[in-house]
Amino acid sequence: MDFAPAAKTVVVGIGNPIRTDDGFGVHALRRLQRDPRVPPDVTFIDGGTYGLELLCYVSDSTHLLLLDALDVGEPPGTLIRMANGQLRGLPCAASVHQVGLADLLATLPLVSTAPRQTVLLGVQPLSTDWGTELTAPVEAALGPLVEEAVAQLVGWTEEASAARVPAAGSRGL
Amino acid sequence: MARMVVDPITRIEGHLRVEAQVDGGKITDAWSSGTMFRGIELIVQGRDPREAWLWTQRICAVCTMVHALASVRAVENALEIEIPNNARIVRNLISASQYIHDHIVHFYHLHALDWVDITGALKADPAKTSQLAQSISEWPVSSTAYFRGVQDRVKALVESRQLSLFTSGYWGHPAYHLPPEADLLAVAHYLQALEFQREFIRIHAVLGGKNPHLQSYLVGGMTTAIDPNWPDAPLNPERLDFLVQVAGTAKKFVDQVLIPDVLAVAGFYRGWFSLGMGPGNYLSYGAFPQGRIQDTARYFLPRGIILNNDLSKVHPVDPNKVSEYVTHSWYEYTEGNDVSLAPAKGETNPKYTGPKPPYQFLNVEEKYSWLKAPRYDNYVMEVGPLSRMLVAYAAGQPEVKAMVDGALAKLKAPPAALFSTLGRVAARALETQLLANHIVGWIEELRDNMGHGDLQMHNGEKWEPDSWPRSAQGYGLFEAPRGSLGHWVEIEDTLIKNYQIVVPSTWNAGPRDGKGQRGPYETALLETPIADPERPLEVLRTIHSFDPCLACAVHVTDARGRTYARREI
Repeated sequence: MDFAPAAKTVVVGIGNPIRTDDGFGVHALRRLQRDPRVPPDVTFIDGGTYGLELLCYVSDSTHLLLLDALDVGEPPGTLIRMANGQLRGLPCAASVHQVGLADLLATLPLVSTAPRQTVLLGVQPLSTDWGTELTAPVEAALGPLVEEAVAQLVGWTEEASAARVPAAGSRGL
Repeated sequence: MARMVVDPITRIEGHLRVEAQVDGGKITDAWSSGTMFRGIELIVQGRDPREAWLWTQRICAVCTMVHALASVRAVENALEIEIPNNARIVRNLISASQYIHDHIVHFYHLHALDWVDITGALKADPAKTSQLAQSISEWPVSSTAYFRGVQDRVKALVESRQLSLFTSGYWGHPAYHLPPEADLLAVAHYLQALEFQREFIRIHAVLGGKNPHLQSYLVGGMTTAIDPNWPDAPLNPERLDFLVQVAGTAKKFVDQVLIPDVLAVAGFYRGWFSLGMGPGNYLSYGAFPQGRIQDTARYFLPRGIILNNDLSKVHPVDPNKVSEYVTHSWYEYTEGNDVSLAPAKGETNPKYTGPKPPYQFLNVEEKYSWLKAPRYDNYVMEVGPLSRMLVAYAAGQPEVKAMVDGALAKLKAPPAALFSTLGRVAARALETQLLANHIVGWIEELRDNMGHGDLQMHNGEKWEPDSWPRSAQGYGLFEAPRGSLGHWVEIEDTLIKNYQIVVPSTWNAGPRDGKGQRGPYETALLETPIADPERPLEVLRTIHSFDPCLACAVHVTDARGRTYARREI
């Protein structure tokens, strides 16, 4: 093949916005969506608490950025970054929907062959009680996380345009 | 005598704990404890009732649409708002496609591995699997090479220890009875069902404006514009063609994959047609209105109640007879512990009195669940596809009668076999087929209306709050794929004063009531044989047959023990 498939970048915010910090991924997605520095052609998905239902939105992505609340036992508000191999084998708890994200990632290679960069940016939550607001330490993490997300998206776009240079010199169509 | 604890029940949505007394290799008593605390009313109190659905649809991961619909119905009921015919059809199409999607995901991805042994699939002969597949179905993806390919992929996954999807199985358990070829066939269809659901769910992107959280609901109708002359309209002739095409794919998958698979698997587990019987009372609020919502006699799936497994009589449903006990639930009622309250007068005052974790057993003599115990006229009710199909069957719905009788004949089983674990599985599959048979017709109804210039999708007569009474009460009843769902709303001075929800899994998974009657799960587990108390596969079969869904509201991903980069703020 002369050239790689067109890059498709998808950002998915995961979580429940009526369960305080659980909704972090959705809050972060909304803020990122409004950021003028985000490259064009990025698709934003409010993934809510879905799992496998998100397959149709991500299975043809080449770059997948996930925003989520993540329990790693760190102090609340800690930013966490996991990429590619680190995301393999997250505990699925074997529930299609309960731990939707882990199942989604486990299932992707079964139904799709897209080459994929997968990065998860997350935050350690303090609370998942009922409520539509984030707790203070997690709210404070929103800005820094969005900065990281913008840097990631810009980085991917630059890589993709660098990769397109040799393709331009090939026969092309 | 031994007490067995299954906590949490895996492959379900949320947290459910079952304690069972095992005596002589059989369950002699059981207690079901849900760890959900219902607090949605705390979120919507004081809000504009027209936006309640936006909040309630976030209660549950996979049930978003059902809570949106029950919520707009409750508000429409309170304010006496009629919706246009097109909105009725679009709502029916969204719900029907959700049934089809959820039922298929339930069978293949939440339930099949209770019957199918992955390790068996690895031992199967692909040529024999191909023969088996071709003997039960016309489905074209059935060659020896195809099944060998699936087997190789699963083998590679097992060897690379990437089998996280399949990790919770009790592989090699003596209660697995499928021949290896059937195991491999089912695993192959597990993968095909993933691809099917990925494509089928696109139907909601058309009808809902935005997915995964549909944005097209509106008190008074829908926002899904229908216009034959507008190329970007959500519904125009091209979009309707697309819906018809997707619906056709669904019908083919259901007819040629789901139904033959369910019948084949059931044939190897006939003993489960006489295990897992619930309370014997079945409730359906009815679903898919074919006219005005008040015209319940014209619902596509009828409203009704069956008592004591007696299919000769369908009793009417009076929504005022629904009430909830908290005798064994971690709540307090101001009127005391033994009364039951109607949802419209419901109270949610949590008071946890259970043991401090970590603990071994719950104190089941006292309160032991976060679920309330809903009852209908003090009867324990089972809800879900089995209830709907039994009510339709007993009401003489001709198509349902033909389908159910046909399936029973193929399985050489009497109607009483339906009152069982496998009866639930079969009813769910048949309901999927019933709806797959009808969605194209409903899409064509929309096309007809469009052809006649009927483009109305919303009734805005009572949109403005100054047209509302000072106080109003209403309910929205609906059959979610999992069973009977009710939202109750009280509006005062244009804002929500009180809001209560009774969800399907509360009916099925709730604890004992003020009269000591067991909940449906608790009854259904009685007499279940347990081959190995350390690996209670048999408990999972019956619990999963109900399609449980509890606190699917919290989704923090567990990544403890993983390598990651961290930064403190």
